[in-house]
Amino acid sequence: MPQLRDSSNSGPTSRTLSVTPDTSFERIFGIETEYGLSVTGEKSATEGAKHGETKLDAARVASVMFEPVVAQSRSTNTYADNGSRLYLDVGAHPEYATAEARTVSDAVLLDAAGENLMAALAHGAERALQEREGEPDLRVHMYKNNADSQGHSFGCHENYLVRRSVSLRELEKCFIPFLVTRQIFAGAGTFRDGEYQISQRADFLDDTISSATTRSRPMINTRDEPHADSRLYRRLHVIVGDSNRSQRATWMKMMTAHLVLCMLEAQSRGEDYRLGVFAMNEPGFHMKKISRDLDFRYRIPLSGGVEVSAIQIQREYCDAAELFLQRHADELKPDMREDAAVCVQLWRRTLSQCEARDWTALASWVDWVAKYQLISGAVRRGASEAKGLQLDFAYHDIAHDTVFSALQSRGFVQALYSMDAVRRARHEAPRGTRAELRGEFLRLARQSPARWSADWTSLSAAPAQETRAVTAHILDPFSVEKTSEYEAVCAVLRGGRGEDPMLPLI
Amino acid sequence: MPEQIYAQNQSFEQNEEQDAELNEAQAAGQANAQTGTQAKAQLSDAILDVDSLLDDIESTLEENAEEYVSSFVQKGGE
Repeated sequence: MPQLRDSSNSGPTSRTLSVTPDTSFERIFGIETEYGLSVTGEKSATEGAKHGETKLDAARVASVMFEPVVAQSRSTNTYADNGSRLYLDVGAHPEYATAEARTVSDAVLLDAAGENLMAALAHGAERALQEREGEPDLRVHMYKNNADSQGHSFGCHENYLVRRSVSLRELEKCFIPFLVTRQIFAGAGTFRDGEYQISQRADFLDDTISSATTRSRPMINTRDEPHADSRLYRRLHVIVGDSNRSQRATWMKMMTAHLVLCMLEAQSRGEDYRLGVFAMNEPGFHMKKISRDLDFRYRIPLSGGVEVSAIQIQREYCDAAELFLQRHADELKPDMREDAAVCVQLWRRTLSQCEARDWTALASWVDWVAKYQLISGAVRRGASEAKGLQLDFAYHDIAHDTVFSALQSRGFVQALYSMDAVRRARHEAPRGTRAELRGEFLRLARQSPARWSADWTSLSAAPAQETRAVTAHILDPFSVEKTSEYEAVCAVLRGGRGEDPMLPLI
Repeated sequence: MPEQIYAQNQSFEQNEEQDAELNEAQAAGQANAQTGTQAKAQLSDAILDVDSLLDDIESTLEENAEEYVSSFVQKGGE
């Protein structure tokens, strides 16, 4: 996680934020993806070197990858044109945290833009290293997955802005069971230790809710840095999800979560969706069992001696979501209303297909099933365990994408967005959130001689020769309002001197 | 206080025209992508012909699978 500045609620605009509880179902979505790196093809490493040992480790490759970023920003931590955050994380993981999106569709598009950018940076590193090391066969691989070959895990984290009326206890009772069973369509699959599993991450997760992040891995955590009005919202940080290649899988992963959170928010205001009945004693244990159960037979014991399967649990959430839409569809904005209807329909169909073991239908967008078809097919044809694991990793390689792109080019898996849309999304901030403001700020900043900086909740600029910066706070993630503070900062970028120099530069 | 102040006048994002391999490979892979921003639930009708797909894929994978796999070592993230 980036060491983001605390979004102080004592900034000048906090008094303009309303404390009237927000009863809408608007939400801010974000996806943070940590990527893995490897290098193959170095000749000098294989001559006489230990098996698998390379001269170049992930840290070195990552630093070469980020040279263009550092050249521009003097930092490995910066913002992409579209307002998303690009940085080098703990353990030399390049990471992309999408700009604030008000729809899941926008978040999926931004995530795809991040993939595209990472692939471009990886190719740049490959060309540079080939030349510098004199290794023409050197290849840099960039993995959008969740584990390396040594059992180290890294995440695809989802961020959801949730109303504070939903208690942590409610999340534990009602949201965790959904997350534990969601893998049956959201899992990316893995072929680890000769055993195929549905989920990449299941083996690496234990506790349910916590505020610690690196030592034990909780399934979800809530951060005290909501980057929004903390009286109204909390930021729900979900680390249990797999990194998906299928855009439809990412979309379904987040749309279903969104609908469950909508129901929990409605529940906190007195409605009942009976989502508490699935509270689990050992969610981590059950998650691992479900991950190994490719036949969907495993039954989870709930209170009262009832045992239910993952499919049954997901079906209850799906039914409840349909009820939620019957009650509240009119309150949703048209695009989200339509997306919610599509989601529920596909959710229901998918659960039936899981029950019927309709692998062909599921393989068209469920990553773990598509990957399973390939790996089990290869093993049937005599492939070794190593070859099977190679296929697993290669499925997630976005720099040398021959596996997943083959599925797409043959029409087995469909993307949600064209390459043109993805490329445009690298440079366009999503609409309807403060990312719009950050995006315009960045566009002006790139052309300006002024010095500037940005983080999630503030934008600053200082004329080239001056030491005092002008700062605008953008605390409300739903606001696209260009306040006078914001206009003052933009004026500095356009060459004005700013009206009210407020803070000295450090 | 925001953490970095820097002057810049171009984006590291502007170099993708040079990345021919990326553009080609991804264009080929995305030939069947839907356009537009509304996600519709149109799924594929094509039957997954695993053997034919594997024939193509296996030729693109590096021969030494053990080396490929063991080269991917990274410290854990968050």
